[in-house]
Amino acid sequence: MSTNPVFPLLQFSDATFPVGTFSFSNGLETASYEGLVHDAATLEQYTRSAARQAAFSDGVAALVSYRATQTGDYDGIRRADDALLRFKMNDEARLMLCRMGKKLAELGVHLWGDDTLMGRWLADIRGGATPGCYPVAQGIAFAMAGIGERELYASHQYGVACMVVSAALRCVRVSHYDTQAILYRLAADTDALYEQARTMDLDSMHSFVPEMDILASLHEKGKMRMFMN
Amino acid sequence: MDERQYSDAPAVDFDSAPEMQPYLEQPDAMYVGCPGKHGYLNLGFALDREGRSILRELDRRAPLIVQQELYFDEELPDMPCVYILSSGGPNVDGDRYVQRFTMAPGTMAFISTGAATKLAEMRRNYSGMTQEFTLGADSYLEYLPEPVIPCRHTRFICDTRIVADPTATLFYSEIYMGGRKYYGDGELFAYDILSVCSHAERPGGEQLFREKFVIDPAHTQLRDTGMMGQYDVFANVIVLTPPDKAAAVYDATEPFIDSKRKLAAGITHLPNGAGLLFKVLGMEPGPVKAVVREFCSRVRLAVKHRPLPQEFPWR
Repeated sequence: MSTNPVFPLLQFSDATFPVGTFSFSNGLETASYEGLVHDAATLEQYTRSAARQAAFSDGVAALVSYRATQTGDYDGIRRADDALLRFKMNDEARLMLCRMGKKLAELGVHLWGDDTLMGRWLADIRGGATPGCYPVAQGIAFAMAGIGERELYASHQYGVACMVVSAALRCVRVSHYDTQAILYRLAADTDALYEQARTMDLDSMHSFVPEMDILASLHEKGKMRMFMN
Repeated sequence: MDERQYSDAPAVDFDSAPEMQPYLEQPDAMYVGCPGKHGYLNLGFALDREGRSILRELDRRAPLIVQQELYFDEELPDMPCVYILSSGGPNVDGDRYVQRFTMAPGTMAFISTGAATKLAEMRRNYSGMTQEFTLGADSYLEYLPEPVIPCRHTRFICDTRIVADPTATLFYSEIYMGGRKYYGDGELFAYDILSVCSHAERPGGEQLFREKFVIDPAHTQLRDTGMMGQYDVFANVIVLTPPDKAAAVYDATEPFIDSKRKLAAGITHLPNGAGLLFKVLGMEPGPVKAVVREFCSRVRLAVKHRPLPQEFPWR
């Protein structure tokens, strides 16, 4: 474990952290193709929707998993994992969460070893006993690295927003200046979202992004494949 | 006797839901869940001796009314059709509702409402409803209520539990308007909160999915791209059906965004192979309802090999 938790926080939040973030766009590819996202203003709206969508679902599962890891409650981690998968209402979102979650678990085993809670969880993913959702993996990893809960939540929100704006540089006419300004402004929402999310349990997870859901469906049945969602 | 327990209808209590915490005051008028404000409906469909589906169980408490089943569907003339009515007019603060629908093995039924469900302006408390759908083997239920119209400061919460045999089919649709769009200067997304949760399981207890949306217009940028965007009406359709039927419907359904008609729809698979999820966005309830019915027709074709009949001209 690192003595300074800021170091692994930066490491786990880095856009180049090898969990495959770059393969996904969270529906932005279709939103751009349909002309719904075409400039910095519409990209900011879309990024905020994506972050909000995750705020009270993935974010809650990450916090539950984090707390379960801290108390050694492995069943609690499994419950968070199952509950989040049951809550994910589209195929590509489930695919994204499971791919990234497994990658983080594999990485975690390299960092902390097989005989840790992360090792047990990876074995269960490989055995098909648990889906292995990414936010749940983040909860385990952040707890094991001694990073704080508020920081986990901020990192999770940052990860969602960063995924969208990074994809935007490849499929929307925006500049690095635009995307960095969007990220910086979204940071202002994170603490208020955390204050709500930290009191929620798995049964109270919710999200409402119907236009994003329809875009995801168009991608799922369409032929565009620069990104996996 | 505690006045809250006066009605013999099952209790409905969402007071512990985090999103309802600001809305727990007692109404000034009739108290929460008093007789006439605690509706109960228990409909049980079974097969008669000739193997025809009938409404065998009918238990109700005001203000919910179901009279009897009718057989008016020209494509499925043996299917009982039921309209749920409410004698109380719109839902008001402090209303509680329980609706239970049970389909015996091999039965089929169609359920709708007589008119749109209006959710009145509320000053204290909220309106809450719990629903339970139980579907036996090879049963088939179309639940296609008219749209829900929230008003200014409406607070509404609904929990729907579905217990479905793997061979059963449930078509469950909900259409939510943004509000009374043409009332006064327009009343779109002026409600306080809509909280809607639907979850399904197998008879043995295996959990399938849980969908919940909480719409809080005052604290959410609902007009953001990705949320409601430019649209005013939202439909959510859950289809529980066996995988071969789901595959046929999925293949026959094309998602679209029609910018001219300002109408969009998307389809995906529910978790755990439970079936399909279909969402529609539009500007007016008519076109959204038409897309939902068209989709229902595809489901009926896949399962019952008959389409939906044309909608009555007065609906």
